[in-house]
Amino acid sequence: MLEVKQLTKTYDGGKRSLQDVSFTAQPGEVTVIIGPSGAGKTTLLRSINQLITDDSGQIRFDDQDICALNKRDLKHIRSKIGMIFQNYNLIESLTTIENVLHGGLARKSTIAGVLSLYTKQEKEEALQLIDEVGLKDFAFQYCSDLSGGQKQRVGIARSLMQHPEMILCDEPIASLDPKSTIIVMDILKKLAKKRGMLVLINLHQVDIAKEYADHIIGLNDGHIVFDGPADQASSQDIERIYRDSAFVTS
Amino acid sequence: MISKPERGLEMTPEASQPMTKFKLPLRLKDKRRRTVYLVMAILVFTTVLTIPTIIPKGVNLAVATSGLLDNLRIMMLQPAPSNTTMESLMVALFQSIALAFLTTLVGAVIAFFIALMAARNLAPTWLINIVQTVMALIRAIPTILWVLIYSVALGLGANAAVIGLTFHSVAYLVKVYADSIDEISGDTLSALRAMGVGFWPLVSQVIFPTIASSLLSWTFIRFEINFANAVAVGAAAGAGGISYQLFMASGFYFDFHEVGMIVYLILAFTIPLEIISYKLRSRYIKRATK
Amino acid sequence: MKNQVMDSSKFFMRKRLNLSIVIGLMIVLYVGASLILNFNSAAFLYVDRGIIWLAKNFVPNSHSIQYWGIILQALLRTLIVSVAATTVAGVLALGLALAGAKTTGPSQTLSWLIRGFASIMRNIPIVGWAMLLLFSFKQNDFTGFLALLFLSIGFLTRAFMETIEAVDVEKIQALEVTGANYLQVISQAVIPEITTPLVSWLLYMIENNLRDATLVGLLTGTGIGFVFDLYFKSLRYGPAGLVVLAIIVLVIGVELVSNQVERRIAI
Repeated sequence: MLEVKQLTKTYDGGKRSLQDVSFTAQPGEVTVIIGPSGAGKTTLLRSINQLITDDSGQIRFDDQDICALNKRDLKHIRSKIGMIFQNYNLIESLTTIENVLHGGLARKSTIAGVLSLYTKQEKEEALQLIDEVGLKDFAFQYCSDLSGGQKQRVGIARSLMQHPEMILCDEPIASLDPKSTIIVMDILKKLAKKRGMLVLINLHQVDIAKEYADHIIGLNDGHIVFDGPADQASSQDIERIYRDSAFVTS
Repeated sequence: MISKPERGLEMTPEASQPMTKFKLPLRLKDKRRRTVYLVMAILVFTTVLTIPTIIPKGVNLAVATSGLLDNLRIMMLQPAPSNTTMESLMVALFQSIALAFLTTLVGAVIAFFIALMAARNLAPTWLINIVQTVMALIRAIPTILWVLIYSVALGLGANAAVIGLTFHSVAYLVKVYADSIDEISGDTLSALRAMGVGFWPLVSQVIFPTIASSLLSWTFIRFEINFANAVAVGAAAGAGGISYQLFMASGFYFDFHEVGMIVYLILAFTIPLEIISYKLRSRYIKRATK
Repeated sequence: MKNQVMDSSKFFMRKRLNLSIVIGLMIVLYVGASLILNFNSAAFLYVDRGIIWLAKNFVPNSHSIQYWGIILQALLRTLIVSVAATTVAGVLALGLALAGAKTTGPSQTLSWLIRGFASIMRNIPIVGWAMLLLFSFKQNDFTGFLALLFLSIGFLTRAFMETIEAVDVEKIQALEVTGANYLQVISQAVIPEITTPLVSWLLYMIENNLRDATLVGLLTGTGIGFVFDLYFKSLRYGPAGLVVLAIIVLVIGVELVSNQVERRIAI
């Protein structure tokens, strides 16, 4: 279970921030954070694995307060958190299988990592995952030759290679066409349902959120304005989440 | 920044867009134009003032020019080895190529590791500043001076030439390699770091494959430069090579037939090099190269 | 699935094999080149000697100060001769590049002729130019100026040509269809597009010429190179160190100015 308590973050300019954000997310569920751009969704997601450090508050995961960990423990817990990005962050000059194998590097020795000495089990597992995201025929293709949707699926396979307990997705479908959107969202939903993972997704598309989420958190200007099951989010709630957005967004 | 005052106009993008489009470049252009004109004016002014002062007094320019053209004609149209054999010229050419190769290879390996300490997305700022400053100092001292210094410190010979030329090679390559590393998205690097990938695996799995092609192009450009340097300063270090032959033919025997032969040998090597380098560059390095 | 696991083993094997071949080849070439040159790799252990020697001998002392006047004068001469050679070369190279670029030139044959000319000018070694010019023009600043000029013409023509060819053909055509004539197209479409890279190439060339000027000066007996050679050969290392210091300050100064200019003219 992920528990965020009174998280607060102010940037140097003082502009975008999180104020007193608290919520919980359960394993086996898809939790979607929605809100207008600039509401603080990315900040929230990135503070969970401390890519951005917060000012105050608690983030509890695996019975540990992530914000209070030392460097070494943080490294350990980060390796259990997979992350999916809007722009994929793949190494485009390498092949699919190599990118997926990167997910397992944290468990390997430095020298094996440097020389790409992967074991048979690791290669099998990587191929299994590539198959699972439907890219069997693209295992040895260079990522620069893949489409956006395919790249995102490589990103998912890579994060699964980490053996994560939680997956954070930062606008995973923002650069994708409608068809790829459905493929990627289906895969993410399956991870929660079949593998029992905690899946936390930032989205700005309300319709997709309502279709795929078990649990919706609405964020507006750094505040939580809605927190509840997806089917309970009424159109008034949605309106509240996106209230004033035309004037607040930058 | 610019969108702030126009927030109220957001509903009518057709009206607001041309305005911003029109304003911005003009404002920038003014400063740009002023700088360009100023630079041009300084260059032209300096040139106009300088040229009259360097026209030599004791030399008849017409005679000198026709002498130059005569010698050029001898060089380009009647090349022939006379004080030495064709074989020894070929051997000398290969010595210079070997010198260029060694200084490029060693320079590239050393420079890659130093560049890791000079890239903004890998190293702390204080370290970057130290490394870049030291490299700028090394670059500022002309190659010929490095070679002369080492030929005194280590004695004349190939050792002095290799080390003197490698110095410059490293300083140049560190700069361009670090620039290439800087172009890797910091987001991708932090994504892999967050996955628990350590520093050296990051270097071999992310940094090297991503910049390999631009690394290759830059190293090849440096090979061209190093060959030119080997030809220029090899003789000063006592490393022999085509540099020594050229120096003897032009400065000792004043034999322009032989100088011509040597120039043709050099061209036979450098022109294919230039073509390969151009192909690599237009494929891998987008921006104009230096 | 099983096939793919085998494929992946093969894939990584092949990758490692390729890498090993490249590394092996480099080692072989390294050893070969060392043998041809009679170079001893142990010399890299003595890199510090040069630096130590430099620090010990090249320290300008109070005695060296009396040379300041001569050094500064030679340095100034070198700077303005480099600037003049670059500027004149720039004007000539722009004309050649416009005539030789595929997009703006009149014919393919001329393009190849100019390309070949630039390449030959660039590739005739500095030593060759210096000696050739010294022979006809004797020992004076003009010889140094011409040597830098010829080298710069070759380099700048090639650089300008590549820059011009990088200008979008459609921008040129857009002006042509309005009925603009050749000179109008060049001055209104091509020149504005290439101003920024042009200036930045010129500044780079000045920096480069300053460095080369030391060598050219050494060979032709002019400018800062001559002054250095004089002190170095007569073992007056104090003033020679002063010359090195002066060159460092000048080159870095020019580099800083040109960085500043490039930042201001960047689009």
